[in-house]
Amino acid sequence: MITIDSLTHIYPATRKVAARTAISALTLAVKEGEFVILSGPNGSGKSTLFRILCGLALPSSGRVTVAGFDLFAQPAKVREVMGVVFQSPAVDKHLSVAENLAIHGDLYGLSGPEFRARRDEALSWTDLADRLDQQVATLSGGLARQVELAKVLMTNPKVLLLDEPTTGLDPVSRRNFLDALHRLQKARGMTVLMTSHVFAEADDVDRVAIMREGQLLAYDSPQALKALIGTEMVVIQAKDTEGLAARLRADMGLAVRCIGDEVRLEETENGDSLPLLEKILDRYRPDVLSISIKQPGLDDVFVHVTSRAVPDHALAIDLKRTGT
Amino acid sequence: MSALVRVSFSLAKREFTRFIRQPQRVIGTVAQPLLFWLFLGAGFAGSFRPAGMEGVSYLEYFYPGVMLMMMLFASIFSSITIIEDRDAGFLQGVLVAPVSRLAIVLGKVLGCTSIAMVQTLIFTVAAPFLGLHLGFGSLVMLLMGFVLTGIGFSALGFLLAWGMKSTSAFHAVMMVFLMPLWMLSGALFPLGNVPVAMKFVMLANPVSHALIIIRAPFYYGPDVLLADPHYLASLAVTVVWAVACLGLSMARVNKREKGVAAA
Repeated sequence: MITIDSLTHIYPATRKVAARTAISALTLAVKEGEFVILSGPNGSGKSTLFRILCGLALPSSGRVTVAGFDLFAQPAKVREVMGVVFQSPAVDKHLSVAENLAIHGDLYGLSGPEFRARRDEALSWTDLADRLDQQVATLSGGLARQVELAKVLMTNPKVLLLDEPTTGLDPVSRRNFLDALHRLQKARGMTVLMTSHVFAEADDVDRVAIMREGQLLAYDSPQALKALIGTEMVVIQAKDTEGLAARLRADMGLAVRCIGDEVRLEETENGDSLPLLEKILDRYRPDVLSISIKQPGLDDVFVHVTSRAVPDHALAIDLKRTGT
Repeated sequence: MSALVRVSFSLAKREFTRFIRQPQRVIGTVAQPLLFWLFLGAGFAGSFRPAGMEGVSYLEYFYPGVMLMMMLFASIFSSITIIEDRDAGFLQGVLVAPVSRLAIVLGKVLGCTSIAMVQTLIFTVAAPFLGLHLGFGSLVMLLMGFVLTGIGFSALGFLLAWGMKSTSAFHAVMMVFLMPLWMLSGALFPLGNVPVAMKFVMLANPVSHALIIIRAPFYYGPDVLLADPHYLASLAVTVVWAVACLGLSMARVNKREKGVAAA
Protein backbone atom coordinates (compact mmCIF):
# COMPACT_ATOMS: atom_id res chain seq x y z
CA MET A 1 0.00 0.00 0.00
CA ILE A 2 2.90 2.28 0.82
CA THR A 3 6.23 1.53 -0.79
CA ILE A 4 9.25 3.62 -0.08
CA ASP A 5 12.14 2.89 -2.37
CA SER A 6 15.69 4.09 -1.62
CA LEU A 7 14.48 7.44 -0.36
CA THR A 8 17.09 10.06 0.41
CA HIS A 9 16.47 13.54 1.72
CA ILE A 10 19.19 16.10 2.18
CA TYR A 11 18.37 19.49 3.63
CA PRO A 12 20.11 22.24 1.70
CA ALA A 13 23.02 24.02 3.36
CA THR A 14 22.37 27.50 4.68
CA ARG A 15 24.93 30.15 5.52
CA LYS A 16 25.27 28.85 9.06
CA VAL A 17 24.44 25.18 8.76
CA ALA A 18 25.99 22.62 6.46
CA ALA A 19 23.78 20.38 4.32
CA ARG A 20 22.29 17.62 6.42
CA THR A 21 21.18 14.17 5.38
CA ALA A 22 17.92 13.45 7.14
CA ILE A 23 17.00 10.25 5.32
CA SER A 24 19.51 8.02 3.64
CA ALA A 25 18.53 5.37 1.09
CA LEU A 26 15.52 4.24 3.09
CA THR A 27 13.48 1.36 1.74
CA LEU A 28 10.32 0.19 3.46
CA ALA A 29 7.00 -1.30 2.44
CA VAL A 30 3.72 -1.31 4.29
CA LYS A 31 1.24 -3.90 3.07
CA GLU A 32 -2.45 -3.24 2.59
CA GLY A 33 -4.35 -3.35 5.86
CA GLU A 34 -1.21 -3.36 7.93
CA PHE A 35 -0.71 -1.31 11.08
CA VAL A 36 2.88 -0.14 11.32
CA ILE A 37 4.56 1.95 13.98
CA LEU A 38 7.54 4.01 12.98
CA SER A 39 9.89 4.89 15.76
CA GLY A 40 13.30 6.31 16.32
CA PRO A 41 15.19 8.71 18.57
CA ASN A 42 14.72 12.44 18.14
CA GLY A 43 16.39 13.62 14.97
CA SER A 44 16.28 10.19 13.35
CA GLY A 45 14.45 11.48 10.27
CA LYS A 46 10.94 10.40 11.26
CA SER A 47 9.42 13.82 10.86
CA THR A 48 11.12 14.41 7.53
CA LEU A 49 9.85 11.06 6.30
CA PHE A 50 6.39 11.98 7.53
CA ARG A 51 6.44 15.32 5.71
CA ILE A 52 7.48 13.58 2.51
CA LEU A 53 4.84 10.89 2.87
CA CYS A 54 2.03 13.36 3.33
CA GLY A 55 3.19 15.26 0.29
CA LEU A 56 4.45 18.43 1.95
CA ALA A 57 8.07 17.98 0.89
CA LEU A 58 9.92 16.47 -2.03
CA PRO A 59 12.93 14.24 -1.35
CA SER A 60 16.36 14.48 -2.92
CA SER A 61 15.89 11.13 -4.59
CA GLY A 62 13.91 7.93 -4.35
CA ARG A 63 10.39 6.80 -5.08
CA VAL A 64 7.26 6.53 -3.00
CA THR A 65 3.98 5.01 -4.08
CA VAL A 66 0.78 5.12 -2.08
CA ALA A 67 -2.13 2.91 -3.17
CA GLY A 68 -0.37 2.43 -6.48
CA PHE A 69 0.03 6.15 -7.22
CA ASP A 70 3.39 7.83 -7.50
CA LEU A 71 3.41 10.32 -4.64
CA PHE A 72 5.61 12.84 -6.42
CA ALA A 73 4.07 12.64 -9.90
CA GLN A 74 0.41 12.31 -8.84
CA PRO A 75 0.08 14.02 -5.46
CA ALA A 76 -3.59 14.87 -6.06
CA LYS A 77 -4.46 11.18 -6.53
CA VAL A 78 -2.68 10.26 -3.33
CA ARG A 79 -4.42 13.01 -1.35
CA GLU A 80 -7.76 11.46 -2.24
CA VAL A 81 -7.01 8.18 -0.49
CA MET A 82 -4.92 9.46 2.39
CA GLY A 83 -5.78 10.83 5.79
CA VAL A 84 -3.17 12.61 7.89
CA VAL A 85 -3.08 13.31 11.61
CA PHE A 86 -0.40 15.83 12.48
CA GLN A 87 1.42 16.29 15.73
CA SER A 88 -0.06 19.75 16.16
CA PRO A 89 -3.79 19.39 15.51
CA ALA A 90 -4.89 20.80 12.17
CA VAL A 91 -8.04 22.33 13.59
CA ASP A 92 -9.10 25.93 13.86
CA LYS A 93 -9.26 26.81 17.53
CA HIS A 94 -11.53 29.79 16.95
CA LEU A 95 -14.22 27.63 15.41
CA SER A 96 -16.56 25.19 17.08
CA VAL A 97 -16.19 21.43 16.82
CA ALA A 98 -19.11 21.26 14.39
CA GLU A 99 -17.68 24.06 12.23
CA ASN A 100 -14.32 22.35 12.02
CA LEU A 101 -15.94 19.10 10.96
CA ALA A 102 -18.08 20.94 8.41
CA ILE A 103 -15.01 22.55 6.81
CA HIS A 104 -13.32 19.19 6.69
CA GLY A 105 -16.42 17.74 5.05
CA ASP A 106 -16.30 20.52 2.46
CA LEU A 107 -12.64 19.86 1.74
CA TYR A 108 -13.39 16.22 1.08
CA GLY A 109 -16.64 16.77 -0.77
CA LEU A 110 -18.93 15.38 1.92
CA SER A 111 -22.33 16.97 2.31
CA GLY A 112 -25.93 16.37 3.28
CA PRO A 113 -27.04 13.11 4.89
CA GLU A 114 -23.80 11.37 3.95
CA PHE A 115 -21.79 13.99 5.81
CA ARG A 116 -23.98 13.72 8.89
CA ALA A 117 -23.83 9.93 8.91
CA ARG A 118 -20.05 9.90 8.56
CA ARG A 119 -19.71 12.60 11.18
CA ASP A 120 -21.81 10.77 13.72
CA GLU A 121 -19.87 7.59 13.10
CA ALA A 122 -16.55 9.39 13.48
CA LEU A 123 -17.72 10.99 16.71
CA SER A 124 -19.11 7.78 18.18
CA TRP A 125 -15.95 6.85 20.08
CA THR A 126 -15.21 10.37 21.29
CA ASP A 127 -16.44 12.41 24.22
CA LEU A 128 -17.47 15.22 21.92
CA ALA A 129 -21.13 14.42 21.28
CA ASP A 130 -22.44 17.15 23.58
CA ARG A 131 -19.69 19.63 22.80
CA LEU A 132 -20.31 20.17 19.11
CA ASP A 133 -21.01 23.87 19.51
CA GLN A 134 -18.07 24.56 21.77
CA GLN A 135 -15.07 26.39 20.37
CA VAL A 136 -12.05 24.13 20.08
CA ALA A 137 -9.96 26.66 22.04
CA THR A 138 -12.11 26.00 25.09
CA LEU A 139 -11.60 22.22 24.95
CA SER A 140 -8.86 20.39 26.81
CA GLY A 141 -5.83 19.25 24.82
CA GLY A 142 -7.08 15.69 24.75
CA LEU A 143 -10.51 16.65 23.51
CA ALA A 144 -9.00 18.90 20.83
CA ARG A 145 -7.03 15.91 19.67
CA GLN A 146 -10.19 13.87 19.54
CA VAL A 147 -11.63 16.49 17.18
CA GLU A 148 -8.63 16.08 14.93
CA LEU A 149 -8.93 12.32 14.90
CA ALA A 150 -12.67 12.31 14.39
CA LYS A 151 -12.15 14.70 11.51
CA VAL A 152 -9.69 12.44 9.76
CA LEU A 153 -11.67 9.25 10.34
CA MET A 154 -14.76 10.94 8.92
CA THR A 155 -13.37 10.86 5.40
CA ASN A 156 -12.73 7.12 5.47
CA PRO A 157 -9.16 7.14 4.16
CA LYS A 158 -7.56 4.02 2.72
CA VAL A 159 -4.21 5.03 4.11
CA LEU A 160 -3.86 6.82 7.41
CA LEU A 161 -0.67 8.56 8.50
CA LEU A 162 -0.38 9.66 12.11
CA ASP A 163 2.45 11.68 13.62
CA GLU A 164 2.67 10.99 17.36
CA PRO A 165 -1.08 11.32 17.68
CA THR A 166 -1.30 10.47 21.37
CA THR A 167 1.00 13.25 22.54
CA GLY A 168 -0.77 15.16 25.28
CA LEU A 169 -3.49 12.60 25.88
CA ASP A 170 -4.08 11.24 29.36
CA PRO A 171 -3.71 7.45 29.70
CA VAL A 172 -7.43 6.84 29.52
CA SER A 173 -7.97 8.96 26.40
CA ARG A 174 -4.89 7.40 24.89
CA ARG A 175 -6.31 3.93 25.45
CA ASN A 176 -9.72 4.95 24.10
CA PHE A 177 -8.18 6.50 21.05
CA LEU A 178 -5.96 3.52 20.30
CA ASP A 179 -8.84 1.12 20.79
CA ALA A 180 -10.97 3.12 18.40
CA LEU A 181 -8.14 3.35 15.92
CA HIS A 182 -7.49 -0.40 16.00
CA ARG A 183 -11.18 -1.16 15.74
CA LEU A 184 -11.71 1.14 12.75
CA GLN A 185 -8.51 -0.01 11.13
CA LYS A 186 -9.67 -3.62 11.26
CA ALA A 187 -13.24 -2.85 10.28
CA ARG A 188 -12.24 -0.76 7.29
CA GLY A 189 -9.05 -2.57 6.37
CA MET A 190 -7.15 0.71 6.62
CA THR A 191 -3.41 0.81 6.18
CA VAL A 192 -1.94 2.74 9.09
CA LEU A 193 1.52 4.18 9.53
CA MET A 194 1.97 5.91 12.85
CA THR A 195 5.05 7.47 14.38
CA SER A 196 5.28 7.00 18.10
CA HIS A 197 7.68 6.94 21.01
CA VAL A 198 5.31 5.16 23.30
CA PHE A 199 5.98 1.47 23.00
CA ALA A 200 3.02 0.50 25.08
CA GLU A 201 1.15 1.43 21.91
CA ALA A 202 3.16 -0.92 19.77
CA ASP A 203 2.45 -4.32 21.25
CA ASP A 204 -0.65 -5.07 19.21
CA VAL A 205 0.48 -3.67 15.87
CA ASP A 206 1.62 -5.70 12.87
CA ARG A 207 5.10 -4.34 12.50
CA VAL A 208 7.45 -1.86 14.11
CA ALA A 209 10.06 0.07 12.16
CA ILE A 210 12.96 1.65 14.03
CA MET A 211 14.96 4.41 12.40
CA ARG A 212 18.17 6.12 13.36
CA GLU A 213 20.12 8.74 11.49
CA GLY A 214 17.89 8.42 8.49
CA GLN A 215 18.32 4.68 8.15
CA LEU A 216 16.09 1.78 8.92
CA LEU A 217 17.64 -0.26 11.73
CA ALA A 218 14.91 -2.80 12.23
CA TYR A 219 11.52 -3.60 10.76
CA ASP A 220 9.60 -6.57 12.05
CA SER A 221 6.73 -7.78 14.18
CA PRO A 222 6.90 -6.83 17.87
CA GLN A 223 7.45 -10.51 18.79
CA ALA A 224 10.37 -10.92 16.41
CA LEU A 225 11.91 -7.69 17.64
CA LYS A 226 11.67 -8.75 21.26
CA ALA A 227 13.34 -12.03 20.35
CA LEU A 228 16.30 -9.93 19.20
CA ILE A 229 17.43 -9.39 22.75
CA GLY A 230 16.85 -12.84 24.12
CA THR A 231 14.12 -13.79 26.46
CA GLU A 232 15.38 -12.26 29.66
CA MET A 233 17.84 -9.66 30.79
CA VAL A 234 19.50 -8.60 34.01
CA VAL A 235 19.29 -4.92 34.82
CA ILE A 236 21.50 -3.42 37.51
CA GLN A 237 21.50 0.06 38.96
CA ALA A 238 24.86 0.78 40.51
CA LYS A 239 26.55 3.56 42.45
CA ASP A 240 29.16 3.75 39.71
CA THR A 241 27.62 2.49 36.49
CA GLU A 242 30.71 2.59 34.28
CA GLY A 243 32.96 1.20 37.00
CA LEU A 244 30.75 -1.77 37.70
CA ALA A 245 30.29 -2.49 34.00
CA ALA A 246 34.04 -2.51 33.50
CA ARG A 247 34.55 -4.92 36.38
CA LEU A 248 31.76 -7.22 35.20
CA ARG A 249 33.43 -7.37 31.82
CA ALA A 250 36.91 -7.92 33.21
CA ASP A 251 36.16 -10.23 36.14
CA MET A 252 33.26 -12.26 34.82
CA GLY A 253 33.62 -11.93 31.05
CA LEU A 254 30.05 -10.67 30.69
CA ALA A 255 28.99 -8.67 27.63
CA VAL A 256 27.29 -5.90 29.58
CA ARG A 257 26.29 -2.52 28.25
CA CYS A 258 25.71 0.77 30.00
CA ILE A 259 22.48 2.45 29.03
CA GLY A 260 21.67 5.59 30.94
CA ASP A 261 22.26 4.84 34.62
CA GLU A 262 21.74 1.13 34.13
CA VAL A 263 24.08 -1.75 33.49
CA ARG A 264 22.34 -4.26 31.27
CA LEU A 265 23.11 -7.84 30.51
CA GLU A 266 20.98 -8.64 27.49
CA GLU A 267 20.59 -11.85 25.54
CA THR A 268 20.69 -14.16 28.52
CA GLU A 269 19.14 -17.55 28.01
CA ASN A 270 16.06 -18.55 29.96
CA GLY A 271 17.00 -19.85 33.37
CA ASP A 272 20.50 -18.37 33.31
CA SER A 273 19.43 -15.07 34.69
CA LEU A 274 18.79 -16.04 38.28
CA PRO A 275 22.15 -17.78 38.92
CA LEU A 276 23.87 -14.83 37.23
CA LEU A 277 22.03 -12.38 39.38
CA GLU A 278 23.05 -14.28 42.51
CA LYS A 279 26.65 -14.41 41.37
CA ILE A 280 26.76 -10.68 40.71
CA LEU A 281 25.16 -9.94 44.05
CA ASP A 282 27.68 -12.17 45.83
CA ARG A 283 30.61 -10.33 44.43
CA TYR A 284 29.45 -6.73 44.12
CA ARG A 285 26.78 -6.37 46.77
CA PRO A 286 28.07 -3.02 48.13
CA ASP A 287 28.09 -1.44 44.64
CA VAL A 288 24.61 -2.51 43.60
CA LEU A 289 21.64 -0.27 44.32
CA SER A 290 19.11 -2.54 42.68
CA ILE A 291 19.16 -5.58 40.46
CA SER A 292 16.36 -7.27 38.59
CA ILE A 293 15.47 -9.76 35.91
CA LYS A 294 13.34 -8.27 33.16
CA GLN A 295 11.34 -9.59 30.26
CA PRO A 296 12.31 -7.42 27.34
CA GLY A 297 9.65 -5.03 26.11
CA LEU A 298 9.66 -3.05 22.92
CA ASP A 299 11.24 -0.08 24.61
CA ASP A 300 14.17 -2.34 25.51
CA VAL A 301 14.41 -3.33 21.86
CA PHE A 302 14.40 0.34 20.97
CA VAL A 303 17.21 1.07 23.41
CA HIS A 304 19.10 -1.99 22.24
CA VAL A 305 18.82 -1.16 18.55
CA THR A 306 19.33 2.57 18.66
CA SER A 307 21.88 3.12 21.40
CA ARG A 308 24.79 1.09 20.12
CA ALA A 309 27.39 2.88 18.08
CA VAL A 310 27.18 0.66 15.04
CA PRO A 311 29.54 1.12 12.17
CA ASP A 312 27.82 1.13 8.78
CA HIS A 313 28.69 -2.43 7.87
CA ALA A 314 27.09 -3.75 11.03
CA LEU A 315 23.73 -2.37 9.96
CA ALA A 316 23.46 -4.97 7.25
CA ILE A 317 23.81 -7.74 9.80
CA ASP A 318 21.19 -6.18 11.97
CA LEU A 319 18.75 -5.95 9.13
CA LYS A 320 19.32 -9.55 8.19
CA ARG A 321 18.53 -10.63 11.70
CA THR A 322 15.22 -8.86 11.63
CA GLY A 323 14.28 -10.45 8.35
CA THR A 324 14.00 -7.17 6.48
CA MET B 1 -15.38 23.48 -10.91
CA SER B 2 -18.10 23.00 -8.31
CA ALA B 3 -15.46 21.58 -5.99
CA LEU B 4 -13.38 24.73 -6.46
CA VAL B 5 -16.34 26.93 -5.53
CA ARG B 6 -17.34 24.72 -2.60
CA VAL B 7 -13.87 24.63 -1.08
CA SER B 8 -13.13 28.32 -1.71
CA PHE B 9 -16.45 29.31 -0.21
CA SER B 10 -15.97 27.08 2.82
CA LEU B 11 -12.51 28.48 3.52
CA ALA B 12 -13.65 32.06 2.89
CA LYS B 13 -16.55 31.58 5.28
CA ARG B 14 -14.13 30.35 7.92
CA GLU B 15 -12.02 33.47 7.40
CA PHE B 16 -15.03 35.68 7.90
CA THR B 17 -16.29 33.78 10.95
CA ARG B 18 -12.89 34.11 12.58
CA PHE B 19 -12.90 37.81 11.87
CA ILE B 20 -16.25 38.59 13.46
CA ARG B 21 -15.30 36.54 16.51
CA GLN B 22 -12.42 38.92 17.19
CA PRO B 23 -14.08 42.28 17.82
CA GLN B 24 -10.72 43.97 18.46
CA ARG B 25 -9.79 43.26 14.86
CA VAL B 26 -13.02 44.77 13.59
CA ILE B 27 -12.63 47.89 15.70
CA GLY B 28 -8.92 48.30 14.99
CA THR B 29 -9.12 48.09 11.23
CA VAL B 30 -12.11 50.44 11.00
CA ALA B 31 -11.01 52.96 13.59
CA GLN B 32 -7.45 53.45 12.41
CA PRO B 33 -8.18 54.77 8.89
CA LEU B 34 -11.12 56.72 10.27
CA LEU B 35 -8.87 58.55 12.71
CA PHE B 36 -6.33 59.06 9.93
CA TRP B 37 -8.99 60.58 7.76
CA LEU B 38 -10.44 62.85 10.43
CA PHE B 39 -7.10 64.09 11.79
CA LEU B 40 -5.37 64.62 8.45
CA GLY B 41 -8.57 66.02 7.00
CA ALA B 42 -8.84 68.56 9.79
CA GLY B 43 -5.13 69.40 9.70
CA PHE B 44 -4.82 69.91 5.96
CA ALA B 45 -8.22 71.53 5.45
CA GLY B 46 -6.75 75.02 5.37
CA SER B 47 -3.69 74.37 3.24
CA PHE B 48 -5.17 72.06 0.61
CA ARG B 49 -5.43 74.19 -2.54
CA PRO B 50 -4.35 72.13 -5.52
CA ALA B 51 -4.75 73.71 -8.96
CA GLY B 52 -7.98 72.76 -10.68
CA MET B 53 -9.62 71.33 -7.55
CA GLU B 54 -10.99 74.47 -5.99
CA GLY B 55 -14.34 73.02 -5.04
CA VAL B 56 -12.90 69.95 -3.32
CA SER B 57 -12.25 69.90 0.43
CA TYR B 58 -9.37 67.82 1.72
CA LEU B 59 -11.79 65.58 3.61
CA GLU B 60 -13.50 64.86 0.32
CA TYR B 61 -10.27 64.46 -1.61
CA PHE B 62 -8.85 62.08 0.96
CA TYR B 63 -12.09 60.09 1.31
CA PRO B 64 -11.51 57.57 -1.52
CA GLY B 65 -7.86 57.45 -0.46
CA VAL B 66 -8.91 56.32 3.00
CA MET B 67 -11.20 53.74 1.45
CA LEU B 68 -8.24 52.46 -0.49
CA MET B 69 -6.23 52.43 2.70
CA MET B 70 -8.94 50.46 4.45
CA MET B 71 -8.96 47.92 1.64
CA LEU B 72 -5.17 47.79 1.81
CA PHE B 73 -4.90 47.35 5.57
CA ALA B 74 -7.87 45.06 5.97
CA SER B 75 -6.97 42.76 3.08
CA ILE B 76 -3.30 42.61 3.85
CA PHE B 77 -3.68 42.19 7.59
CA SER B 78 -6.24 39.50 7.00
CA SER B 79 -4.08 37.63 4.56
CA ILE B 80 -1.13 37.49 6.95
CA THR B 81 -3.28 35.13 9.00
CA ILE B 82 -1.87 32.52 6.62
CA ILE B 83 1.23 32.61 8.85
CA GLU B 84 -0.97 32.02 11.88
CA ASP B 85 -2.79 29.22 10.06
CA ARG B 86 0.49 27.53 9.39
CA ASP B 87 1.81 27.92 12.92
CA ALA B 88 -1.46 26.75 14.43
CA GLY B 89 -1.45 23.71 12.17
CA PHE B 90 -4.69 24.42 10.33
CA LEU B 91 -2.95 24.99 7.02
CA GLN B 92 -1.24 21.62 6.84
CA GLY B 93 -4.63 19.93 7.15
CA VAL B 94 -5.85 21.90 4.15
CA LEU B 95 -2.69 21.21 2.16
CA VAL B 96 -3.01 17.45 2.48
CA ALA B 97 -6.68 17.53 1.52
CA PRO B 98 -7.62 16.59 -2.05
CA VAL B 99 -8.42 20.15 -3.07
CA SER B 100 -7.11 22.31 -5.89
CA ARG B 101 -4.31 24.62 -4.85
CA LEU B 102 -6.20 27.49 -6.44
CA ALA B 103 -9.08 26.85 -4.04
CA ILE B 104 -6.70 27.25 -1.10
CA VAL B 105 -5.56 30.64 -2.41
CA LEU B 106 -9.07 31.74 -3.39
CA GLY B 107 -10.51 30.73 -0.03
CA LYS B 108 -8.07 33.00 1.75
CA VAL B 109 -8.24 35.83 -0.76
CA LEU B 110 -12.04 35.92 -1.03
CA GLY B 111 -12.37 35.69 2.75
CA CYS B 112 -9.98 38.62 3.22
CA THR B 113 -11.70 40.61 0.47
CA SER B 114 -15.09 40.19 2.08
CA ILE B 115 -13.69 41.25 5.45
CA ALA B 116 -12.18 44.37 3.88
CA MET B 117 -15.40 45.09 1.99
CA VAL B 118 -17.54 45.03 5.11
CA GLN B 119 -15.30 47.57 6.81
CA THR B 120 -15.07 49.82 3.81
CA LEU B 121 -18.79 49.68 3.20
CA ILE B 122 -19.43 50.86 6.76
CA PHE B 123 -17.23 53.82 5.91
CA THR B 124 -19.21 54.47 2.71
CA VAL B 125 -22.01 55.72 4.94
CA ALA B 126 -20.04 58.97 5.28
CA ALA B 127 -20.36 59.79 1.56
CA PRO B 128 -23.60 61.82 1.72
CA PHE B 129 -22.14 64.00 4.46
CA LEU B 130 -19.41 65.05 2.04
CA GLY B 131 -21.97 65.93 -0.59
CA LEU B 132 -21.12 62.84 -2.62
CA HIS B 133 -24.16 61.07 -3.96
CA LEU B 134 -23.81 57.67 -5.51
CA GLY B 135 -26.32 56.52 -8.09
CA PHE B 136 -27.04 52.80 -8.37
CA GLY B 137 -24.76 52.40 -11.39
CA SER B 138 -21.90 54.17 -9.64
CA LEU B 139 -22.41 52.10 -6.51
CA VAL B 140 -22.05 48.94 -8.57
CA MET B 141 -18.88 50.32 -10.17
CA LEU B 142 -17.56 51.24 -6.72
CA LEU B 143 -18.28 47.77 -5.38
CA MET B 144 -16.50 46.25 -8.36
CA GLY B 145 -13.54 48.51 -7.59
CA PHE B 146 -13.54 47.29 -3.99
CA VAL B 147 -13.72 43.65 -5.01
CA LEU B 148 -10.89 43.93 -7.52
CA THR B 149 -8.70 45.94 -5.17
CA GLY B 150 -9.43 43.57 -2.33
CA ILE B 151 -8.50 40.55 -4.41
CA GLY B 152 -5.33 42.27 -5.64
CA PHE B 153 -4.18 43.29 -2.17
CA SER B 154 -5.17 40.03 -0.49
CA ALA B 155 -3.42 37.97 -3.14
CA LEU B 156 -0.34 40.17 -2.82
CA GLY B 157 -0.47 39.76 0.95
CA PHE B 158 -0.84 36.01 0.55
CA LEU B 159 2.14 35.91 -1.78
CA LEU B 160 4.31 37.94 0.60
CA ALA B 161 3.19 36.13 3.73
CA TRP B 162 3.49 32.59 2.38
CA GLY B 163 7.23 32.32 2.71
CA MET B 164 7.53 34.31 5.94
CA LYS B 165 8.29 32.77 9.28
CA SER B 166 6.70 35.40 11.48
CA THR B 167 4.16 38.17 11.35
CA SER B 168 6.72 40.71 12.57
CA ALA B 169 8.68 40.39 9.33
CA PHE B 170 5.46 40.99 7.50
CA HIS B 171 4.86 44.25 9.36
CA ALA B 172 8.28 45.48 8.30
CA VAL B 173 7.52 44.72 4.65
CA MET B 174 4.20 46.44 5.03
CA MET B 175 5.78 49.65 6.30
CA VAL B 176 8.63 49.94 3.81
CA PHE B 177 6.89 48.55 0.76
CA LEU B 178 3.13 48.87 0.88
CA MET B 179 2.73 52.16 2.74
CA PRO B 180 4.92 54.01 0.19
CA LEU B 181 2.93 52.46 -2.65
CA TRP B 182 -0.20 53.80 -1.04
CA MET B 183 1.30 57.22 -0.36
CA LEU B 184 2.52 57.49 -3.95
CA SER B 185 -0.84 56.49 -5.35
CA GLY B 186 -2.41 59.91 -5.05
CA ALA B 187 -4.48 58.82 -2.07
CA LEU B 188 -2.86 61.30 0.32
CA PHE B 189 -2.08 64.18 -2.04
CA PRO B 190 -2.64 64.80 -5.75
CA LEU B 191 0.24 63.79 -7.95
CA GLY B 192 -0.52 66.49 -10.51
CA ASN B 193 2.42 68.72 -9.66
CA VAL B 194 5.04 66.14 -8.85
CA PRO B 195 8.33 65.72 -10.74
CA VAL B 196 8.28 63.61 -13.90
CA ALA B 197 10.19 60.77 -12.27
CA MET B 198 7.44 60.40 -9.72
CA LYS B 199 4.85 60.35 -12.49
CA PHE B 200 6.44 57.13 -13.73
CA VAL B 201 6.32 55.68 -10.27
CA MET B 202 2.68 56.53 -10.16
CA LEU B 203 1.95 54.94 -13.52
CA ALA B 204 3.83 51.80 -12.58
CA ASN B 205 2.17 51.66 -9.18
CA PRO B 206 -0.86 49.38 -9.29
CA VAL B 207 -2.19 51.07 -6.16
CA SER B 208 -2.71 54.34 -8.02
CA HIS B 209 -4.78 52.52 -10.62
CA ALA B 210 -6.80 50.94 -7.84
CA LEU B 211 -7.37 54.42 -6.45
CA ILE B 212 -8.68 55.62 -9.80
CA ILE B 213 -11.26 52.86 -10.05
CA ILE B 214 -12.40 53.61 -6.49
CA ARG B 215 -12.43 57.42 -6.78
CA ALA B 216 -14.00 57.77 -10.21
CA PRO B 217 -17.46 56.27 -9.42
CA PHE B 218 -18.03 59.03 -6.84
CA TYR B 219 -18.02 61.59 -9.64
CA TYR B 220 -19.15 59.79 -12.79
CA GLY B 221 -21.77 57.26 -13.78
CA PRO B 222 -20.98 53.94 -15.49
CA ASP B 223 -21.83 55.36 -18.93
CA VAL B 224 -19.02 57.92 -18.69
CA LEU B 225 -16.56 55.58 -16.96
CA LEU B 226 -16.86 52.70 -19.38
CA ALA B 227 -16.16 55.05 -22.27
CA ASP B 228 -13.14 56.65 -20.63
CA PRO B 229 -9.77 55.24 -21.76
CA HIS B 230 -8.02 56.29 -18.53
CA TYR B 231 -10.55 54.52 -16.39
CA LEU B 232 -10.47 51.43 -18.59
CA ALA B 233 -6.68 51.36 -18.53
CA SER B 234 -6.69 51.49 -14.72
CA LEU B 235 -9.35 48.83 -14.60
CA ALA B 236 -7.24 46.61 -16.86
CA VAL B 237 -4.11 47.16 -14.74
CA THR B 238 -6.01 46.25 -11.57
CA VAL B 239 -7.47 43.12 -13.13
CA VAL B 240 -4.09 42.01 -14.48
CA TRP B 241 -2.50 42.69 -11.09
CA ALA B 242 -5.14 40.66 -9.24
CA VAL B 243 -4.92 37.75 -11.66
CA ALA B 244 -1.11 37.79 -11.63
CA CYS B 245 -0.98 37.76 -7.82
CA LEU B 246 -3.50 34.92 -7.70
CA GLY B 247 -1.50 32.93 -10.22
CA LEU B 248 1.79 33.51 -8.43
CA SER B 249 0.23 32.61 -5.09
CA MET B 250 -1.07 29.39 -6.54
CA ALA B 251 2.35 28.53 -7.92
CA ARG B 252 3.82 29.27 -4.51
CA VAL B 253 1.38 26.92 -2.77
CA ASN B 254 2.08 24.26 -5.33
CA LYS B 255 5.79 24.44 -4.76
CA ARG B 256 6.99 21.94 -2.20
CA GLU B 257 10.22 22.31 -0.29
CA LYS B 258 12.73 20.00 -1.93
CA GLY B 259 15.77 18.15 -0.66
CA VAL B 260 19.01 18.80 -2.48
CA ALA B 261 20.82 16.22 -4.53
CA ALA B 262 23.66 14.36 -2.86
CA ALA B 263 26.99 16.08 -3.36
